[in-house]
Amino acid sequence: MNRILEKNKKGTNKILSIYWFAILILIAGGIFAMVYTFYNRPYDVRELEANVMANKIADCLSNKGYLEKEIFNGNFLLNEDNFLEKCNLNFNIEERWEEPQYYTKVSFYNLADMDTSIFDVANGNKNLISSCEIQKDKEYEKLAKCVERRFYSLDEENNQYLIKILSVVRKTEKNV
Amino acid sequence: MKKRGEILVENIFFIILNLFFLTILILFLLKQGSGAIVLEQSYAKQIALLIDSSKPGTEIHLSMGKARKLADRNGIEFDEIIKIDNNIVTVRLSEKGGYQYSFFNDVELDNPYPINEDTYRFKITGYK
Repeated sequence: MNRILEKNKKGTNKILSIYWFAILILIAGGIFAMVYTFYNRPYDVRELEANVMANKIADCLSNKGYLEKEIFNGNFLLNEDNFLEKCNLNFNIEERWEEPQYYTKVSFYNLADMDTSIFDVANGNKNLISSCEIQKDKEYEKLAKCVERRFYSLDEENNQYLIKILSVVRKTEKNV
Repeated sequence: MKKRGEILVENIFFIILNLFFLTILILFLLKQGSGAIVLEQSYAKQIALLIDSSKPGTEIHLSMGKARKLADRNGIEFDEIIKIDNNIVTVRLSEKGGYQYSFFNDVELDNPYPINEDTYRFKITGYK
């Protein structure tokens, strides 16, 4: 009887070892898959980039709470052609893309009427605007990242303006 | 009451196999985290974002110890790992290609160069 019990014990140990290795392989496989997926995904810096762009445009438009004279001297001096140059922006991109990967739009509002802008200026790839509209309720990582910033500024006669800056960065292939 | 040696051999074999498994796993994790593709990408994006956030006159000293180690291992000179052409940063830590990322800040830069064993210097001289 003792011999039979001893034999069964040995068999059980062997089965336990196989079972243990099966679990080990499963865990190792899981870790392998997770790490591989994690490191194979590029770092997504588009939101950071869009934030930096919005900050840079804000610095270009307003200084110490007042609109820059190069931007507003009673009339708005910005237009689509000189916007990038005045704000020192360069929308050139890597060779892999044929279309610009950036879009930016600045809107000025009078405080009396916050619904209708009094002046708009934009530059970049207009096709990216649709990404922002689609993502109002839910974000999709394959679409361009949109960041909207707003701040107030004064002109020389102390008239107040609300300024909205929309900056959009696509570069999906390099960030997703 | 003598125990059979067979059991001890099985246990040792089992422990060795477990250790073997764990070693492979740890090596895999370490290799993935310090691979050329991952580091090239992270440095290129980091440099592009730093340049985007900078104004003329800014001098950036970037510590690149990990890049240095990898470049040495792959036979790439440390002073050749970063190139900035127009507004595109290229970081190359292995013989294959490298990684490019563009920045939108329209600035002029001095050629980036290492100032010591593992630190790179970037100087933004002005707007174009």
